[in-house]
Amino acid sequence: MDLSEFEADNTVSCRLSSAIPDVCRTEDCCLGIDEAGRGPVLGPMVYGICFCPISKKDDLKGLKVADSKTLSEAERENLFHKLDEAKSFVGWALQVLSPNTISTSMLQRAKYNLNALSHDAAISLVQYALDCGVQLKELFVDTVGPAEKYQEKLSQRFPGVVVTVRPKADSLFPIVSAASICAKVARDHAVKSWKFLEDLGDMDADYGSGYPNDPKTKSWLLKYLDPVFGYPQFVRFSWSTAQTLLDSKAVPVHWDDDEEDGEKAAARKNCASMLSYFGRGKSQSTARETHRFFSERRLKTLDTL
Amino acid sequence: MKRQEVTYRTPETAVEGERSVQRMSSNGSVTTIQLGSVDQADRPQVHLLPCEIEQDGPAEVSCYFTCAVKDRKHEMSVSFRGRGLKGQEVSCPHGYTGLVLKEDHKPTTDQEDRTVRVSSIFSRFTYWNLETPPNSDDVVVMAMAWPELAKAIHGSVDD
Amino acid sequence: MTTKKKRSSNTQNDRWVVIAPDSVADTSKTDNNDPAFVRLRNPATGEASLYLFSSGDSELYEVKAFDEDYHSWFVGQTVQRDGRLLYITPMDPMYLLLPYLIKVGKEGKFQPVQQVVMDEDFPACTRLLSCSRTQASLHHVAEEKEVGSQRFHRYNQEKTMQWLQKKVDKTVKALKMRNISVGGGVKSTTYIRMKQESDIQEEDYLRYAHGLISEYISEDLSKELLNVLGLPEISSPKELEPPSKKRKLSDKPVEAGEDYTKFNSADFIRKPPKKMTAAQKSLAKVDKTGMKTMSSFFSPKVKTENN
Repeated sequence: MDLSEFEADNTVSCRLSSAIPDVCRTEDCCLGIDEAGRGPVLGPMVYGICFCPISKKDDLKGLKVADSKTLSEAERENLFHKLDEAKSFVGWALQVLSPNTISTSMLQRAKYNLNALSHDAAISLVQYALDCGVQLKELFVDTVGPAEKYQEKLSQRFPGVVVTVRPKADSLFPIVSAASICAKVARDHAVKSWKFLEDLGDMDADYGSGYPNDPKTKSWLLKYLDPVFGYPQFVRFSWSTAQTLLDSKAVPVHWDDDEEDGEKAAARKNCASMLSYFGRGKSQSTARETHRFFSERRLKTLDTL
Repeated sequence: MKRQEVTYRTPETAVEGERSVQRMSSNGSVTTIQLGSVDQADRPQVHLLPCEIEQDGPAEVSCYFTCAVKDRKHEMSVSFRGRGLKGQEVSCPHGYTGLVLKEDHKPTTDQEDRTVRVSSIFSRFTYWNLETPPNSDDVVVMAMAWPELAKAIHGSVDD
Repeated sequence: MTTKKKRSSNTQNDRWVVIAPDSVADTSKTDNNDPAFVRLRNPATGEASLYLFSSGDSELYEVKAFDEDYHSWFVGQTVQRDGRLLYITPMDPMYLLLPYLIKVGKEGKFQPVQQVVMDEDFPACTRLLSCSRTQASLHHVAEEKEVGSQRFHRYNQEKTMQWLQKKVDKTVKALKMRNISVGGGVKSTTYIRMKQESDIQEEDYLRYAHGLISEYISEDLSKELLNVLGLPEISSPKELEPPSKKRKLSDKPVEAGEDYTKFNSADFIRKPPKKMTAAQKSLAKVDKTGMKTMSSFFSPKVKTENN
C-alpha cells in the first residue's frame, strides 16, 4: 500500500484510494465501512470503505476476507494483496486521520468528539464514492456509538441507499471485512514507518501496539515525554493516558478556556478588563480609570521591572 | 545615586517617617541596562504563545515547535500540547528594536541597585492565537500602535 | 479527564521581553551611557511608576507592559513564562515636572527649577532636569526670568493650557492618521442632538485625545483642559446608576449590549460577533453592582445628568 501521500504531511488528514472499477459505475453496488486504530494513544485513525457490485458478493466471499482483528498482520497484508488483485470489481478508499488532527479536534474550544469525527470521516468517504459514480445501493457499517441513531443519520444523508448499521459488521459482511482490512493495513503501515516531524534524533520505534494498556506503549510514553512540549505529534494528546502523564510529569500549561468553555473564559477576561477600566483592583488613592486606549490594548503602567 | 535621608523626625511622625524612608529607598533603587552586552546578544526566533507555560529556562523549541510550523498562503499553523494554533509574524514598530533583558543576579532586597543585560535582540516575532486566524483586531497588533501615539502625546510642540 | 492544576503565581522573573526605540540600545554613540530604569512620581496618580533615562539622562522614556492573560514566550531555545511585552516609549519630561512646578507655583514666586524639583520619595526626579527637552520646554508652562546667568521660573496655568491644547491637537492628528476608533465614548445627549454628525466625530476625537493626555496630568488639570477645549463635562458612570436601574438591566443585560452594538457599530464591524457575545455575557455574569455601572456606561439612551 502506497502511503506516500499521507507521509508527505502526516500532521493532517489524507484520503487514499484505489481506481474505481468500471463495473461499479454501471452495476448496483454494496459498500462496507470500517475503521482501524480507534483506541490507541499513538498514530492515526484510519477509516476505510470497500465497494463492489452486489452481483459480485460471492466472488468477494471467495477471497476469504474475514474480520481483520482475527487475522495476523501477514494474513492481512496477503488479503489486501488479493483485494488489490481483484481491482476489476473491488474498489477502496481510505481517510487517514492524523493523530494531530485527532488531538486538535478533540481539544478544540468547541469540542469535536471522536464519534462526530468518525461519522464525518465515514460520510465523506461514502460521498467520495458517490461523486466517483459508484452506483451505491447497500451500505454496511460497523457501529460507532448507538447503532439506531447512526443508521438514521446515514439513511437521511444518503437517500435511496439501504443502510445497515450493525455491531460486529466486520465479521458478518465480507464487504465490511474488506474495508476493515484496507483500514488496518494502512494504519499498520503508517505507524510502522512513522516519520517524526520532530527532530528527536534516533527514535526508539518499539512503541508496541499503541494501546494504552500495552506496557511497551506505556514505557515509550514515559521515555519520550518532554517537560515543555509533551509529546511529538505522533501521540494523541486528547487521550486520557497522555493527559494523565502530562499532568503528573510535564510543566503545567494553562489556556484561557481551561475548565470552562472558551466563551466563559472570554467573558471572564472581558469582565476583568472592564472592572479594571473602572479603576477596580487599583489602590484607593488611584481611583482614576485608565483610558480605554490602554485598557483595550492591555497596556498597563509598571512600577517595577 | 545619592539617597536623601530624612533628617528631622518628631516623635509623633516617627512611624510615618519610617514608612517614608522605606518607600523612599526602594523608589531610589535604579536598574541599569548594561549596553556592553549588546554585542554578545543573540538574534533568536521569538514566539508569543496563547497559553501560560509554568516554566522559565531551556526548552527544545526547534525540535518540537519550529520544525512543525507550517507557513502556507500567509497562514501559519502549528500545534502545541495537542491544541491548534494559528500565527502571524509582526515586526517591531518603525524605529524600534526588540530586546530581551536578563537579570543574572537577583538582588536580595528591593533597595539595592540592579543590573540587567541585553541577552537577545529581535526585530520581529510570531504571535499565535488559539485556533483563531490572526487579524488586525488582535490585541497584540493593536498595541503596536502605541509608540506612534506616544510620539504625538510626548513629542515637542511648536511655539 | 483529570482535573487541571491551578495556576501558581509567577514570582521569580528574571527576564523581560521589551520593545524599545533603536536609540536606547544604540552602542555606536560613544556618549551613550548605560540606560537606567528609575521610579518617579506618576503625575496622574501620584504613585510610583517606572521610567527610563538614557544618553546620560538627556532622554526620558516611559515603560508600559502589554499584558494579556495566558501568554508565554519562546525566545530561541528557551521558554519564558512571563508573556508580557514591555514598551519603552519616549516621554515628555514636562508632564513629570508639572506637579512640582504647580505645587511651588502656588507661592507665586519665581524660583530656580533646581529648588522646585525635589522629592524625598523619588530622589531620581532631579535627573529630569538633565533632560534635553526640559530646558527647551519650560517656557511652555512657566514664565521665565533671567538674572545674570541664572534662570528663574514661575508656573503659569494659561500657558500650560495652551501647551496642553497643542498636545491634544497633535494627538487628534495622530489618532486620525492611525485610524484609531474613537467612537463609543460617553457623550452628552443634548450635545448630540444639537450638532451635526461630523461635529460629533470631531468631539469623539477631541475627547479621546483629552483622555489620553489626561493619563499624564492631574485630575484638576484634566478638568480644566476639558473646559478649555469646550467639551461639556460628562457625569461619571456612578451618577448614571438610577436610570439604569429602571431599565431592569439585571434581568436582561443583553439589552444594554444591543444598544452598545447599534450605538457603536462602526467600531465593531471588523470584530467577530463572538466577541460581542462574550461582552454581553460578561455583563450578565458580573456582580450586580458593577453591572449597573457598566451597562449605564455603554447605553446611550440613558439620560445624562449634565452638571
